[in-house]
Amino acid sequence: MTGLIEARLDELGIVLPPAPAPSANYVPWAISGNLLFVSGQGPHGPDGTVKGKVGADLTAEEGYEAARRVGLNLIAQMRAAVGDLDRVVRVVKLFGMVNGAPDFDQQPAVINGASDLMVEVFGDAGRHARSAVGMAALPWGISVEIEAVVEIRP
Amino acid sequence: MPGKIDARLAELGLELPNAPAPAANYVPTVQTGNLVFISGQVPNTGTELLKGKLGADATVEDGQAAAKVCALNLIAQMRAATGGDLDRVKRVVKLLGMVNSTPDFGDHPKVVNGCSDVMVEVFGDKGRHARSAVGVANLPFGVAVEVEAIIEIE
Repeated sequence: MTGLIEARLDELGIVLPPAPAPSANYVPWAISGNLLFVSGQGPHGPDGTVKGKVGADLTAEEGYEAARRVGLNLIAQMRAAVGDLDRVVRVVKLFGMVNGAPDFDQQPAVINGASDLMVEVFGDAGRHARSAVGMAALPWGISVEIEAVVEIRP
Repeated sequence: MPGKIDARLAELGLELPNAPAPAANYVPTVQTGNLVFISGQVPNTGTELLKGKLGADATVEDGQAAAKVCALNLIAQMRAATGGDLDRVKRVVKLLGMVNSTPDFGDHPKVVNGCSDVMVEVFGDKGRHARSAVGVANLPFGVAVEVEAIIEIE
């Protein structure tokens, strides 16, 4: 039987990417009690990774799409961590980091790409606390990185 | 009857702003178990946003003043999250203070002290928190400081 969230993903036409493995001595996620901590994810997709500075190489709208891709990778990691996405009780917190041009100040509009996805997929359980800030640089020049804290049912 | 912390705020002459509502698909606070995660707060005085870049057009004192306003906004969110009773705050657990600064600026801790000091003035020993204070390349709308928090409540 398909879970409610898997059915919702189908309905939205969303296919989750494979959960990326980290490139060093850390893990993609860790569970402590009812909390799942997901490592910072990047905008990886089937056709490559979105790189470049928002406000210079990319528009804010392209940044929004990159953040949505990051959100898909976060949900892929959640699934890898808990197996059944119906065990997600609440998306607690996102920390959104935007690789922006020096004068770019629309980080919230970019990170909305991930926030909107969480609410589309999880409904009210997807509404999270959040910070959206600008970084001088991100690994390999990716445009957006987001980490997450999620409450899960044991 | 006002609570102890409300009385302490009055004694210090600190007035809390209205807890700002977010402008998108996220929420100001999420409670999970006894922990409340508070979205990054910016220096919104109620009438203006305190903007600037440390190391360029804002002094350390300007940054501290902005960090203090972030603290008042965090406490306003705590009050909203505790149903109006700040005496339910058991501990300020963790702050992440992000300073909008130039590449060569190094006094991020001094700036974020503007927020940390308010927490201890208001909550006493319960206000002593773990903390990181870092520099970021930019912040939403060009504000000088943004601070997010995790607190424990009764």
